Amino acid sequence: MATTLFDIAAERLEESTDMDRLAARGTLRLALKEAGLDVENLSVPQLRAVFEKLMPNELDMRGVANPAATCKAVMDDIASAASTADLATSKSPDEIFKRLGGS
Amino acid sequence: MDESAYLTSIVAGTFLLIAGARLLRLHRRTRERPELLLGLYFALSGAYYLGYNTPSLLQFDAWPPLIELAIEWTYILGVFPYLFFIRSVFRRRDAWAGWLVAACSALASVGTLKMTLDGNVEYSLDDPWFVAQWIGYTAPCFWLSWEALLYQRSSAKRARIGLCPPIVANRYLLITLFGSFQVLACLADLSYANEVGSDQSVSLITDRLLGGAEIASIVVLWLAFFPPRFYTNWITRRAVILPTPMDG
Repeated sequence: MATTLFDIAAERLEESTDMDRLAARGTLRLALKEAGLDVENLSVPQLRAVFEKLMPNELDMRGVANPAATCKAVMDDIASAASTADLATSKSPDEIFKRLGGS
Repeated sequence: MDESAYLTSIVAGTFLLIAGARLLRLHRRTRERPELLLGLYFALSGAYYLGYNTPSLLQFDAWPPLIELAIEWTYILGVFPYLFFIRSVFRRRDAWAGWLVAACSALASVGTLKMTLDGNVEYSLDDPWFVAQWIGYTAPCFWLSWEALLYQRSSAKRARIGLCPPIVANRYLLITLFGSFQVLACLADLSYANEVGSDQSVSLITDRLLGGAEIASIVVLWLAFFPPRFYTNWITRRAVILPTPMDG
């Protein structure tokens, strides 16, 4: 059962491609690592950026047909399923350091 | 000590007070804890630097022991919010971080408490209480530097896909440097304790190490918390942000 935003995204990716569960989760994990993101503290905007900028290339490398459209479909699905899972709060280190410097 | 070393400390203390006041003002507006904790640390450190160097600046022999102890406690009291800042920003969910905060707080407090009970501030490497205090206030500097370095590496990746403003990614680097310069200053404290404890005069190397670390700390804090426009523009211009394949 999907519990975190990462789980939801990996599940949708698995459903939208020929990848099995392990491959879908592994591919997403690699993209998140490449993006410098923590699996446990993902937010919807962060996931969107990953699906827009990194996942098309990752899926292309794995032979998934029409990767950009697949990413868009997965992201649309996630946005509606996980609207309450957005964890971008004033408590993230990026937000704190942004505030502290007055930018 | 060399006169320029005192002046450096006075400048550092004044800057820390200003930075602390700015963060505390920010806290009044946002009601968020990190700015309160870091603001308290900077303000108390600034007060310590100024208090500690006032006798040399005003050319009197030394503070009475009671005031010296109060000045010492001012710095140690600043270490607590510093530790809580690091934990609350970087390691909110890690139980070990709580233990590290407790251990550092205990070491810093116990060492200073022993000085208080003895009735005077004494720096000597032969004194295990001084060493305990030193570990208590040095470990947080190293810890901050390490955590900021880890975040600098991941934030540089986030910046590439537009998830972290380049100036914020750079701020992690500046805080890494700040922590490292503070560790250097703490190492200079050891050298100072060694020389003073063995009745030698403070060497030029210790003076320069301390002064250099303080000035370098101020420069990186200035860039981190009061970034001039030219610096912000320079960092932003250098940043490389990946295009979105879908846009094409």
